[in-house]
Amino acid sequence: MASEAIHSGAQTDAHSGTHEEAHHELPARVEPDVITSELVASTDSNSTGVRNWMWILGIVTLVGIGVGFAKLLIEWGDQSEWGYTAAMVAFLFSVFGGAPLVAIAPTLAKANWVRPVARFAALCSLASIVCTIWMIPLILNLPMLVVDGARRRSIWFEGPDVSPHMWALVSMITLITAALGLIYAYALPDFAAMRDHSTGWKQRFGSWMARGWIGTTIQWRTLRLRIGMMGTLYFFTFVFVHFIISTDFAMSLVPGWRDAIFPMYHAISSIQAGLAVTVLGLWAARRYMGMDKYLHLDQFWSIGRLMFAFTLLWGYFFISAFIVYWYGRSGSDKMWIDYLILGPYFWVFILGVLFIWFTPWWWLIWNRVRRSYNGTAIGAGLILFGVFLDRVRLYVAAWAVPEDRIHERFLTEYPSAVFPDVMDLFIMVGALAGCVFVVLAATRVLPILSIWDVQQFNLLYRPVNYMKTKVSLIGKPD
Amino acid sequence: MSKSVLGLYSDPNQAADAMDALKGAGFPLGTFDVLTGTPYPEGAFGEHVPQHRLFRFPAFGAIIGFTLAIFLTAATQIAYPLVTGGKPILSLFAMLVILYEMSMLSAVISTVVGIVIESRLPNVNPGVYDNRITEGLIGVVITTDDDKSDTAIDALNAAGAMEIKQA
Repeated sequence: MASEAIHSGAQTDAHSGTHEEAHHELPARVEPDVITSELVASTDSNSTGVRNWMWILGIVTLVGIGVGFAKLLIEWGDQSEWGYTAAMVAFLFSVFGGAPLVAIAPTLAKANWVRPVARFAALCSLASIVCTIWMIPLILNLPMLVVDGARRRSIWFEGPDVSPHMWALVSMITLITAALGLIYAYALPDFAAMRDHSTGWKQRFGSWMARGWIGTTIQWRTLRLRIGMMGTLYFFTFVFVHFIISTDFAMSLVPGWRDAIFPMYHAISSIQAGLAVTVLGLWAARRYMGMDKYLHLDQFWSIGRLMFAFTLLWGYFFISAFIVYWYGRSGSDKMWIDYLILGPYFWVFILGVLFIWFTPWWWLIWNRVRRSYNGTAIGAGLILFGVFLDRVRLYVAAWAVPEDRIHERFLTEYPSAVFPDVMDLFIMVGALAGCVFVVLAATRVLPILSIWDVQQFNLLYRPVNYMKTKVSLIGKPD
Repeated sequence: MSKSVLGLYSDPNQAADAMDALKGAGFPLGTFDVLTGTPYPEGAFGEHVPQHRLFRFPAFGAIIGFTLAIFLTAATQIAYPLVTGGKPILSLFAMLVILYEMSMLSAVISTVVGIVIESRLPNVNPGVYDNRITEGLIGVVITTDDDKSDTAIDALNAAGAMEIKQA
């Protein structure tokens, strides 16, 4: 091993009182055969009571799709009626699309704590499929580039009339391809484990997907490379899709809204939400799927610190955009503040800021909170609610602007607040259920924690005595 | 006629010894390999690390996608020469989004193809294998001529193999 890292981790003999509270227990090592058998068994629907949840989520998803189809027939062409669907799609894409970056960045940085986390974070990207399905009614209701004989303002200067519609789909398909590639790259050795130790259709499926994987030197070497490559491609595509979604499905619908920072703001809050959903998923896996042996405080602590950092970054990106409008004082600048901040969604904005930034900031700032399972999970819940409110404020307001005013230089009269109707509620709950369903269904095929990653975590980690304390000794292979 | 021989070990040090024993018995590098259920640090067993060309796939794909995007955007703008905002007909900034997206799409697809090819997958004839490798056992596998297989088995046994399998 090229280098070693020593992490302080447990209580000292001499100062067991305060240090025991301040530090966490070192993870116990688990034998590889136990890891394989337990994680393979965790894919059994009966073992964890997941089947009932999948039925409920599946039915809610189908009801949501049915209501969405009915809404499409009833409210075809009425753009303002689709604001909450747009907000939900943007929210779900932000949450589940951002999660894989939790796996990608620390993996590329060769962090050891991320190994048990990477699989769940990568699986979240499957929800992009649900988001793409729900984008179809939005694409059908998105105004054409040429409205009433004139080209509306957009990033598509000379493109065909359907450029935003077409490229939104192409970019989402690219993201889904990258997501599937990333998941497959991570999962190939686990398909081999399913082939070797599972039964029935899972064994056959594992055998087919493993493609003859036997764990040779070249196979492991290319595994690391393809995870790196697919991770990088996912990251680049992720940023690009945020650029497309935020500009075409929000900014270009509001006359006078021109904000170069908004796509980055959108992506940053997505990473913040991705961290939050990863924490909640791991918390649920520990509590309800018996994964407490493999998920330790180290994972929650590390993600908690990242969540805190991205919470502060949200404030930075928001104020960077806000300050331009605040000092600009042109008609369009004042419109941005009056409509999107102080206007009909003022209280949504206030609540959004409270939940996405202020409350998580003052919650996650405490070491004791970040060093606890429940504390980080509560912080994650606050952030997710805040991101949802933020997307409602931005997307409902954008879709509420009537199509016949899209050529105005900037809005002078602001549409009144749009509240969700019953169909919106069904669609939002159905879309959320669909994303959770897809991720949960994937954990019936692949273990929620990667077998080979958890084995490698144990391979490279040793709890050792260091002077009068105990520390984690972690080997870094490259 | 060639034969595959697999020695199974529960201790990684024994597997490393088996690799040394095979080298010592005169088997050339590349004819034997180590099979594991989790990636050990490269070179931990003294194994031969083969080269790969995976990085070429995304680069090649991106070049193809970029070239196609240049052709698409330039050809459409030249075919319909509409001056917008006083900018040149071939405006780079108007082309950037499509150049980026098509380069990425092509790079992603070619990387997925490259993953399949460079992983030597599908491996239709994986040779001798044991399911317990994904449970933590370490396999040392060698493919050799029939007449040298006894020498290989002796070397694997000398390192403390818990089981020998042949195919």
